Amino acid sequence: MRNIFRIMMIGLFGIGTASGQITKVDQEVYGMDCAPCAYGLERGLKKMDGLQEVRVSLNDGKAYMGLAAENGLKLRSIQEEVKKNGFSAKKAEVTLIGNATKEDGQWYIETANERFSVSQDTPTALLQKLTVGTASISGTVQDEEDDNLSGQWSIVLTKIE
Amino acid sequence: MINKVFPKISLNIPYLKLILLLAISGSAMAQGHGPLYGLQTPTLAKGGVDLNVAGMSLSTETETSYMLRYLFSYGITEDLQINLTTPTMIERLGDAPRTRGNSNMPANGDIEASLWYRFFSNAFGVGKRFESTAIVGVSAPTDDVRGQANVGNSVHAAISTGYASRTWYGWIGGGYQYYFEKGGEQLGDLPYASAVVGYRPNIFMGDYPKPDWRIFIESLAEFPGDNKFEGQMDFTDSRSTKILVGPSFLGLYGAWGISFGAMFPVVQDLTLGAVKERYRLAINLSYWL
Repeated sequence: MRNIFRIMMIGLFGIGTASGQITKVDQEVYGMDCAPCAYGLERGLKKMDGLQEVRVSLNDGKAYMGLAAENGLKLRSIQEEVKKNGFSAKKAEVTLIGNATKEDGQWYIETANERFSVSQDTPTALLQKLTVGTASISGTVQDEEDDNLSGQWSIVLTKIE
Repeated sequence: MINKVFPKISLNIPYLKLILLLAISGSAMAQGHGPLYGLQTPTLAKGGVDLNVAGMSLSTETETSYMLRYLFSYGITEDLQINLTTPTMIERLGDAPRTRGNSNMPANGDIEASLWYRFFSNAFGVGKRFESTAIVGVSAPTDDVRGQANVGNSVHAAISTGYASRTWYGWIGGGYQYYFEKGGEQLGDLPYASAVVGYRPNIFMGDYPKPDWRIFIESLAEFPGDNKFEGQMDFTDSRSTKILVGPSFLGLYGAWGISFGAMFPVVQDLTLGAVKERYRLAINLSYWL
């Protein structure tokens, strides 16, 4: 229901622009082995504007984040915070609302400040549900090399609202 | 030996209580989340601060030293860390063996500043990583004479590499400390190596923020050179060999850590005048800001 409301709001005020935002991130973290590591990462993430809730799991090797209703947070910023703590940011499961576009047969979903290229690994059934305009989607963002944080991501869609 | 810098304080019960109070209430802590004695590799997060307070004791056949040591560490980047450690000597040894306390704390009364550079890191799985770290440091003594020789400033360099996971840990490393001549006398140098294996039992695999514990078996091999005196024959090739082994324990809870352990000599092939040891004890409290 909340997502429907968000889509309506974006539809009213944001169609045709690159507005939109990430609303949830489960970030995989490699190399984090101890409580102070998790504490440091959790504290660093909590300092970021736009993060509403943060939970770090050593056993899962993940940081679970819920983002505020209005936020300008980039996935890149989250991964940079992971790196700043001495770990490697790997795959991320994200939920976001963005503007879907199609260029030369390639689908893209854009938030206010990042662009997600829809991977060909996305199931065909899901790709067929994708339409130009506002989209609320979930998916897995592929691992980028730590030193190659370009701000453009490849995403395998797992759900379209 | 007369303490020329700090007043000698007898170790009594009220003082022990004070130490404990400092340890519990202070904003300082331990050595990080690795072993207590051996060389390790982890560095702080960029902008991270780690405060430590440690209690150390070293016992020879004739006397026992007690020392409190404070360590401040700051992460310049996630791979570059600066450290400063200062001692409060409670009881000095008249005849002190040449050794280090641990990877960033001297066992004697030196003030030491050091730089850690993690030049290799490969995080390849959940909780798993290989990494290597280089250490360089400079020290200034807080005593004038140690082991009948004038104490000069010193430099220290070491390198370590290791593996960490949620269950197993291992580090190996080696280092070298060189004391400069002072007043025609020079403390012997100290090449050394360390190897550490660590394990976290299943019962301590609770997820963050639950506390977890790990146990280490630590070993040190030290090859201290003899002191040199002006006009004396050159004993450059004369070195002692010491191998010490012992357990240490590390408990972590949130931003807090406590580690404690002991080392016992299993080999002491000493040159004339070198000091025979009985044991080393240490306890260390850490707080990550």
